[in-house]
Amino acid sequence: MRGLLVALLLAAAPAWATEPAQADYMLNCQGCHLPDGRGFPERQVPDLRKQMGRFLRVPGGREYLVQVPGAAQTALADADLARLLNWMLNSFSAAEVPVDFQPYTAAEVGLLRQHPLASPSSIRVELLVQIARHEQMQPAGDMPHE
Amino acid sequence: MANNWLDRITEKMTRQTARSTSRRGFLGSLGTLLIGAGAFTLLPVYRQGAFAATSVDEEGDPNSCDYWRHCAIDGFLCGCCGGTASTCPPGTVKSDITWIGTCRNPTDGKDYIISYNDCCGKSNCGRCICQRDQGDTPIYRPQSSNDLNWCTGSQANVPYHCSLSVVIGVKEH
Repeated sequence: MRGLLVALLLAAAPAWATEPAQADYMLNCQGCHLPDGRGFPERQVPDLRKQMGRFLRVPGGREYLVQVPGAAQTALADADLARLLNWMLNSFSAAEVPVDFQPYTAAEVGLLRQHPLASPSSIRVELLVQIARHEQMQPAGDMPHE
Repeated sequence: MANNWLDRITEKMTRQTARSTSRRGFLGSLGTLLIGAGAFTLLPVYRQGAFAATSVDEEGDPNSCDYWRHCAIDGFLCGCCGGTASTCPPGTVKSDITWIGTCRNPTDGKDYIISYNDCCGKSNCGRCICQRDQGDTPIYRPQSSNDLNWCTGSQANVPYHCSLSVVIGVKEH
């Protein structure tokens, strides 16, 4: 018991570092999307919580999460952007991610980034309509718990 | 003699307690509790903003533009306006929406993640203006431009007063 306490006290002091994916989130997203992903919907900063995973359920959604300018245009390398998106899905919207979801890879992200979206906001609206329809068709079981 | 049953029960219970406990044992567990409560708050759990003032080994004057945390600041230092480098002066509100960058701490050589929240709700503080702008980009690259008034973009939505430099993380090396 005392040994454990001493070990804890020693370990707690100097050796902390922010998890790399979270550090990337802080530096590239958190300024607007806020630490918990809550965003600021009144000022066009979408809430990521319980939302991101829903995009993976409709055609084009997986691509959109990479191609949306906030993601595609960051200074992050492809591998880091892939890691960041996987981390965000898991942190903010794990319950909505489909069970058969394959994590993003650097190659996939790199390819998608080469095709920027001409009008991201209208694509977003289309996807949200599709998501709403999709969830109406599968009301029970598959619905995330709110 | 009929009325001493209460005495007997009390004596029995007292002796029972004395047999099964010890004063040293009590002191020991009290000590563990006190140290444990202190150690628990030191556990390496992420607490947003909590390590701002505590665990960073540093030097310098937080009210000087040269202070390492202010490497990308653009505005009045809240420390000169009635607050500190990480807390807003009384009567102002911290903007949620913020500019985030890194600054290298010369004391330990690590890159810390700094959030430059604005404090809003009073007119310009006017003291300790600093403009260091490290990592700032022109306004046509808005994702990393700091030439914005975060008060107007946030829930605060009132006049700009001063700027904070809050440590929110540290980058791995």
